[in-house]
Amino acid sequence: MKDTLYLAWRYLAHHRIKTAILVGSLTLITFLPVGLNVIVGQSARELTSRAEATPLLVGAKGSPLELALNSLYFESDTPTLTTYSEAVRIEETSLATPIPLYVRFRSRDYSIVGTTLEYFDFRGLEVASGRSMAVLGECVLGSRVAADLGVGPGDTVVSSPESVFDLAGVYPLKMQVVGVLGPSYTADDGAIFVDLKTTWVIQGLVHGHQDMDAPEAASGVLKREGDTITANASVVQYNEITPDNVDSFHFHGGMDGYPISGVIAVPHDQKSGTILMGRYEADDEISQIVQPATVMNDLLGTILTIREFVIAALLLVAIATLATAALVFLLSLRLRRREIDTMSKIGGSRLSIGTLLVSEIVAVLLAGVLLAGLLTVLTAQFGEELIRALLLG
Amino acid sequence: MKSRLYLPILAMFLIASGCAESGPPGEESQGTQDSGSQVLEPLSIFTTNYPLAYFAERIGGGEVEVSFPAPGDVDPAYWAPDPEVIADYQQADLILLNGAGYEKWLERASLPASKLVDTSVAVASSYIPLDQGVVHTHGPEGEHSHKGWVFTTWLDPMIAIAQAQAIQEALSAARPEAAADFRVAFEGLQADLLVLDAQLGEVGADFGDRPVLFSHPVYQYLDEHLGLNGKSVHWEPGDMPTEEMWNELSTLLQSHPAELMIWEGEPLEAVKSRLAGLGLQTVVYNPCGNAPESGDFGSVMLQNLANLEAAVEPEAADTDG
Repeated sequence: MKDTLYLAWRYLAHHRIKTAILVGSLTLITFLPVGLNVIVGQSARELTSRAEATPLLVGAKGSPLELALNSLYFESDTPTLTTYSEAVRIEETSLATPIPLYVRFRSRDYSIVGTTLEYFDFRGLEVASGRSMAVLGECVLGSRVAADLGVGPGDTVVSSPESVFDLAGVYPLKMQVVGVLGPSYTADDGAIFVDLKTTWVIQGLVHGHQDMDAPEAASGVLKREGDTITANASVVQYNEITPDNVDSFHFHGGMDGYPISGVIAVPHDQKSGTILMGRYEADDEISQIVQPATVMNDLLGTILTIREFVIAALLLVAIATLATAALVFLLSLRLRRREIDTMSKIGGSRLSIGTLLVSEIVAVLLAGVLLAGLLTVLTAQFGEELIRALLLG
Repeated sequence: MKSRLYLPILAMFLIASGCAESGPPGEESQGTQDSGSQVLEPLSIFTTNYPLAYFAERIGGGEVEVSFPAPGDVDPAYWAPDPEVIADYQQADLILLNGAGYEKWLERASLPASKLVDTSVAVASSYIPLDQGVVHTHGPEGEHSHKGWVFTTWLDPMIAIAQAQAIQEALSAARPEAAADFRVAFEGLQADLLVLDAQLGEVGADFGDRPVLFSHPVYQYLDEHLGLNGKSVHWEPGDMPTEEMWNELSTLLQSHPAELMIWEGEPLEAVKSRLAGLGLQTVVYNPCGNAPESGDFGSVMLQNLANLEAAVEPEAADTDG
């Protein structure tokens, strides 16, 4: 038996190109459906785990998927904006804790996430170095942002203009980095967190400027009528918040009318969540409430349906490949008829010759399957990082 | 045949996916609350002025650890904590706010909204608007001003009671098991404030509608609650007013002939004697926005009452005579 296996090995080694092609084909055709299954499964877990950890999302009526992707992964276009009054409305129901989000602005390739400190507790995020933001203009970086940009507490990052052609738009805001979060392996690692009010500063809604009563601001005063001062465009507005000018930053009116992109609502219990959802059922309701898990499952349902088609196609290809491999082996037998005759003439029994040929086929099949298994293990092991890089990158 | 081929792969996949099943740390527990910790440490309470700290200590007793981090020599209404102090505020279980625009720094700070307790919001309809504030216009948002409210709300004992009640309710919500104790302590504080209110009411009644001056525009709630006929100037106890300010006072006295001027602190002797020359008696009514050097909020308010009574009684006696 050992001799037979040795001869089989020598044959395969001698025809190494043919063997390599056969093993490669079998490896790929075995791995592709299994690997795809693993990748899709991991992607589904990656997407749903964050969605399932987020009980309810409230935003302006529009695409639920856009609201979910923007609020959970800080990706996709900014959904239709709502106002801070939506968070106040949820708070006043006493049914849930609202965590407002304003995900609209970016610094380079990273989303600037305006929120409240409750977000960090809700997501279980810890500040690994430095501290949490305390005043306007301070920011806390996700671990990947800090690593990619090579910045940490004491450095600054600058918000990007929404459009390079928006010459009359808001000035970029230079933000002080005061902390870096520990890695969470979620979208939070790729975000820059600021207080909600800082995003309004970026937008220019909350701003600081020269004291209009001060003599040095005289050139910026267009007209002065009693207690009313009208300023011209030359009034100096600050694009960096420092201890010296922070006191000049102010709101115009209450916060209720200021924009946000959505609100995470964390119900106090399941019943509260159900009641809260009922509050958004009215026909004239201008806001929507969604369960992110449901939205993501709908999305995944589509992805999984596509996966079924792909796997079916791959199985057809596998059958075709196996048939081709069988044909290769059969043709190979025909080409090796003289070799088989020679083995028979020098005393090889039919059993020995059959065992030799079967050993060769089994070795090729086994090598293909083992390699496919190895690739599957590697995919399972490192696929999540790959998926995070692809999904969150 | 095909299913047999997949068996080893499936086994490897299951092992691998089993290994990879453990998600990122903390992900599973998100959105839930830790119900395991039953050790009742005192609630960490941060306040933005001294009256709130006093109320919280009176109501919370041993169940609370109250911090009021403003330095002793500043008016907390014009104080802004630095980022490190704000970080301390962030760690508190509850942050008690006076409201009515008292905490001007609040809109520039990052504090957890769920921990903020605006103690005067329930009586917001009683807020007295400030009559100062420049309206200005720039940019697309149009005309706006930086007006606000008078914020020394606690000088009206009834508003102070409402603020104390808000504290009691917040403490009870944060620690329901001590709610009964908080209730009892609140009722004690409420009784003290009601006694103060009754005695102040008597002083106010004795004073009638005779004109009175306030050295600083912080007494509006007291003025309104007691029905006094008061007007404010903008003088500091430790400063000698300029001649322009004296002239303005003389002009004001012509239309508002006050004989009593209420101060936040003891004015300079030179100021007192010059005021006496104008027929103005000075009396100290300490708003007690910051912690007093001696005593507490209760004793300071009783001293204020005694000062007012001492100032009013001779005049009342004269009127009676």
